Amino acid sequence: MSILSFQNVSKHYDTDGQTVVALNDISLEVERGEFVALVGRSGCGKSTLLHLAGAMDFPSAGVVLLSGNSTSSLDDAGQTRLRREKVGFIFQSFQLLHTLTVQENVELPLLLAGRANPRQDALERLHWVELDGLASRYPHQLSGGQMQRVAIARALVHSPAILLADEPTGNLDTSTGVVILTLLQRLTREQKTATIMATHSVEASAVCDTLVRMRDGRFEEVTRR
Amino acid sequence: MAALKRSRVAEMSRLKLFYRLMLRPSFREPVRLTVTVLAVAFGVAVVLAIDLAGNAAAGSFHSSMETLAGDNDLEVVAPGGVPESVVATLATYPSALRVSPRMEDFAVLEDSQQTLPLIGVDLIAEGTRYAAAQSDHSPPDSATSGKHALQRLTDPQSIWVSSNLHKPAGEKVSLLVNDRVYECTIRGVYPDESGSENAILMDIAGAQRILNRFGRVDRILIKLPPGDAIEKSAAELKSVLPAGVEIRPQGTGTDENRKMLAAFRWNLRLLSYIALVVGAFLIYNTISVSVVRRRAEIGIVRALGASRVDVLIAFLGEAACFGVAGAFLGLPLGRVMASGAVKLMALTVESLYVSSRPGSIALTPFSILWALLIGVGVSVISALSPAREAMNVSPTDAMAQGRREYIARTNMWRDLLIAAGLAFFGVLSAGMPAVAGKPLFGYLATVLLIAASGYSMPALVTFLSWATSGLLKKLVGVEALLAARSLTAALRRTSVLVAALATAVAMMVSVGIMVGSFRQTVVSWMNDQLPADLYLRPAGDPAADRHPTISLDLTEKIAALPGVSAVDRLRAYEISYQGKPATLASVDLRVLRSYRSSDFFSGRPTEVVLSQLRGQNNVIVSEPFTYKHAVKAGDTLTLALGESRASFKIVDVAYDYASERGYILMDRETMLRYLPDPTPSNLAVFVTPGANVEDVRRRIQEIAAGHRILIFSDRDLRTEAIRIFDRTFAITYALEAVAVFVAVMGIAGAFVALVIDRRRELGLMRFLGASSAQIRKLILVEAGLLGFLANLAGFVLGYFLSLILVFVINKQSFGWTIRFHWPVTVILAALSVVYVATILSGLYPAEVAVRLNPLGVIHEE
Repeated sequence: MSILSFQNVSKHYDTDGQTVVALNDISLEVERGEFVALVGRSGCGKSTLLHLAGAMDFPSAGVVLLSGNSTSSLDDAGQTRLRREKVGFIFQSFQLLHTLTVQENVELPLLLAGRANPRQDALERLHWVELDGLASRYPHQLSGGQMQRVAIARALVHSPAILLADEPTGNLDTSTGVVILTLLQRLTREQKTATIMATHSVEASAVCDTLVRMRDGRFEEVTRR
Repeated sequence: MAALKRSRVAEMSRLKLFYRLMLRPSFREPVRLTVTVLAVAFGVAVVLAIDLAGNAAAGSFHSSMETLAGDNDLEVVAPGGVPESVVATLATYPSALRVSPRMEDFAVLEDSQQTLPLIGVDLIAEGTRYAAAQSDHSPPDSATSGKHALQRLTDPQSIWVSSNLHKPAGEKVSLLVNDRVYECTIRGVYPDESGSENAILMDIAGAQRILNRFGRVDRILIKLPPGDAIEKSAAELKSVLPAGVEIRPQGTGTDENRKMLAAFRWNLRLLSYIALVVGAFLIYNTISVSVVRRRAEIGIVRALGASRVDVLIAFLGEAACFGVAGAFLGLPLGRVMASGAVKLMALTVESLYVSSRPGSIALTPFSILWALLIGVGVSVISALSPAREAMNVSPTDAMAQGRREYIARTNMWRDLLIAAGLAFFGVLSAGMPAVAGKPLFGYLATVLLIAASGYSMPALVTFLSWATSGLLKKLVGVEALLAARSLTAALRRTSVLVAALATAVAMMVSVGIMVGSFRQTVVSWMNDQLPADLYLRPAGDPAADRHPTISLDLTEKIAALPGVSAVDRLRAYEISYQGKPATLASVDLRVLRSYRSSDFFSGRPTEVVLSQLRGQNNVIVSEPFTYKHAVKAGDTLTLALGESRASFKIVDVAYDYASERGYILMDRETMLRYLPDPTPSNLAVFVTPGANVEDVRRRIQEIAAGHRILIFSDRDLRTEAIRIFDRTFAITYALEAVAVFVAVMGIAGAFVALVIDRRRELGLMRFLGASSAQIRKLILVEAGLLGFLANLAGFVLGYFLSLILVFVINKQSFGWTIRFHWPVTVILAALSVVYVATILSGLYPAEVAVRLNPLGVIHEE
């Protein structure tokens, strides 16, 4: 069974009396350990698809199934549980808390979930992303690439089934971006996490297993390697 | 002309830009806008209310005894009354003087329990306007006809009242005068629309009879011929008057009372300014937030051609708008608050100072201008620092950072150094003496310490957050860690909020300690002041300057009762000494009494000190008296008493808290030599050992039937005294409540702004798995931490302020020695209330945080 399934999903927003169609009848199956790249121009629906996948938003039509459960059937507590257990997010602008150290940033999802041994798990994830020794630093003391690696460690600290990355290399230079993409690819395979990445990056196509080209809320092309 | 036109166009453009860039965005945050304006409004309202109420209660002071005094030039007074012979002397003086003798006392209307001046004038000579008023149209044979009214002039049961009393001519009223009730008939009503001449008028002879004061008048008013100089005339007339009589400009008593009330009014003003200071902190915070949020915009407009001065004026203008809006709102609010304040102040004035009737509250153009000036002035001054910071924003830096958070830097160590300097000068100021009787350096010390506290806040917030975040995380959870870190992350904003609330808490703590210390001092003092078993005084509301008397026959009957071993007759008179009101009192030293401890500066036993008064021209003076007149034990006082001036030696100084006026105490026998009226003001009854006090009390009540006498046990008296004491501080409690309310309200508003500014972080938390409850908890924990910090800082600051209040301001204003005392329960209760209120103020911001859409806020960039 796919870890994530979009079945005839549409999403539209009503803004000041006008309807904007963000997604138009899309279907997609994502397996564990699969790296999916969503490419397309701004406004094509990439971020919307990520939000639906992470149960941060819900389809106007169709069904999104995460581990076989429809996200639309979840109440607020259910959504929270989902985010704590099954989903990890990575953002373009890293979104680290500047008042916390690197280690504390990575620990945060575990602490919010009330899990035991957050320190140990956090240090392990920092090792995964090759940031040993920087645990006590603050975000403003790190480079862009290092901050994104901390964000990746945080997204993976609770061993989610799905990793959702919205333009993770958007604020990085090319070479650093390649490093991040490579890291994501490796972690996807090693941890058997399904990774869905929205990106403008051409380099992304080289690391992904499935390339989905989007346009005006639809899939133009889906290429599986 | 063209230049003028261009200038006008430029001005209109500026105004348009100001509205679009500065004012219109404020309307999008109605909560923050409302709270900021309200903070200014309440600060202005409180200051205005105290000023208006002060003017009404005391400032445009109108002593009750100036009622119907007319426009005379001089007055002749003497303790115990002016001999009638002086009237004749003045009446026959070779000059066209208009001489108006008066009897002056107070009467209580039994039906309404209203206390009014009772004034006896020579109605034949000067009172026809009163006697004839409203009685001319009555039928000739009715009781109210003009002919009958004149015939009843000398009848002590005939009275005339002002129209403000709303009682018609012919109505019968019961008047309590001293300890007796008299049935009187209103013969006429004189016009008094403003209510400023509300009194009970009667013929002077009738008044002498009803007051049982024969052979003397209370005051003689003199109108000089046109062109005669007042001072020269006074000097000339003095030469023909007895030595014990004083001649002075009319209304001197009013001026003396007004000066005496100045210290009281100044202290209330200081307290009212605290609410304004709290408001100032909140304005500073609001404008600081505005600057931080608009950094990118500032960069853009600077890049487009705005100068630094334009930016400065824009933010000062924003603050001024808050000030204007707040001031206009504060005006009607202040007027309403003044109505309540004047009642509370009038109670204090009456209890501690002098009988008075509050004037009307007058919202004059000056008051309105003053309110506007305060509102705008405080707002602009508070905004100066953040506005200057805004004008120094570099355009390129600001635009390059885009919408990323900019954390305003605080120079913590520099601020701590400034705080230390301010505190040092504050301590120095506290040690300085009074200036013209006013504790100006004490006030300065207060301001300096509050400023020092404000500058030390960043360090306090940083240190305490750092010290407690680990423990809080263990006890409360990760929300506490995040809350603690957030407080230090927005250090400038947080420290201003903490400073605002801490200032209000400090005011509450310091006044609470001062009042608590004062109260405990009074309670301890009273333990030794009340050696008798029962105390009697005439019924009616007590006042600092009213000393109604008890009939002599009743006194003798009480003294003869079985079970009564002795009766101490106390008598008090109001006098003027060196231009200040004071009380001259006597006790009967033939009555033996025992005291538990000494209340004298010398520390000598009370019995020893009192024995020095017996039969001699020796006196004891109270502490406030020594302070006001710079005298001490061993000095000599010269008093005008009766028909002579006599010298008295001060043998000791007593601690006294009964009144701020100060007293001179002598032996009754000594007083009777100069002021022979034997009727007492109060009786202290000593019950025979073994006799039942309640039985004696009952017997006294039986024989006092027909008299209006209040009987107190020593416990009753203590309770009554404390009740009056608590009542006098009602106005200060009200001021504290306003300051705390303004601060808590400001915190609520600032928290909403904090939540909005941290929406990215809060949205991220939802992405990371935080539940709604956790978000809510985060905000509430932050509010709780802020409240804790403010309570702690406020408590410490309040302690130091209380030292200044107790040992400097109070001492220099009133002359009282207060023994420091911690009212632990009161302070703990008050701090708890503030703490809970602060947490509750986080409820609405917490809901705002919970309702944030994480999708929207994360992707805002």
